[in-house]
Amino acid sequence: MPTETDVRPVIVDEPRASERADTERPWIVLVWNDPINLMSYVTFVFQKLFGYSLEKATELMLDVHHKGRAVVSSGPREKAEFDVFRLHEHGLWATMQKDSSSR
Amino acid sequence: MNRKGRGPIRVGRDGTYLLCIDIEDRRALLRLLGELRDTLLEDSESKDTTTDKFRRLFPTAYHDDPESDVEYQRLMKDELMASRLDSLLVARAALERMPDDDTLILTANELDVFTRSINNLRLVFGTMLDVQESDDLDDTSDDPELVHLHLYSYLGWLLDWSVSVQSESLEEH
Repeated sequence: MPTETDVRPVIVDEPRASERADTERPWIVLVWNDPINLMSYVTFVFQKLFGYSLEKATELMLDVHHKGRAVVSSGPREKAEFDVFRLHEHGLWATMQKDSSSR
Repeated sequence: MNRKGRGPIRVGRDGTYLLCIDIEDRRALLRLLGELRDTLLEDSESKDTTTDKFRRLFPTAYHDDPESDVEYQRLMKDELMASRLDSLLVARAALERMPDDDTLILTANELDVFTRSINNLRLVFGTMLDVQESDDLDDTSDDPELVHLHLYSYLGWLLDWSVSVQSESLEEH
């Protein structure tokens, strides 16, 4: 049985605020414009995978088409990787990165 | 390839879809889907999935982070390959049971897989043809790649119909 003298304080190396913010920053999934995928197909995939309305999916597709890319989902890293995989399965060019806008 | 009359894919009963294409089109699709699967399988076995014409089938996941991308590909590439091979197999199996002069009934899952497989083919042809945003594809020219252009165009037509009927179902739900 441990005596009182056995209980020593544990030094915890707490992450600095900047490190904490970096870990907590969400990930975003981007879909990039490509000249091959049909606009109708891209819209359909956004509706199917993310449950977006036709209006929202069309808006995102037009962002991809005109601005070159659009953020289609965000969240923890595991979710972003899952979404990227599903988008790749459907032939869309998707990438993920930490959300720099939430610093 | 016949594109006249009503569309090649229609909504059927009880959540099914009807695929109605010429026997020549079906044979061509079967051959293309089989060739793509065989080539992917060969590349998979030799661990060479870097073939240029397949680069759109296996895109990068981390745009500005090559180290993370290598790790992602190490973990996920085989799974993506397996998914593609499986889709091509299911799409071919569905086409193989199609009556010669009749309409094929597809389940929602089969049409989903068929759609992705058609898009895979289109991505490969588009990459081979180096299709660009501004390209006005002229499939009446004397281009030596005319056959590929015809196929690319046909696959786009089929894909658009496939998306159209599935979108109708999405909106209904």
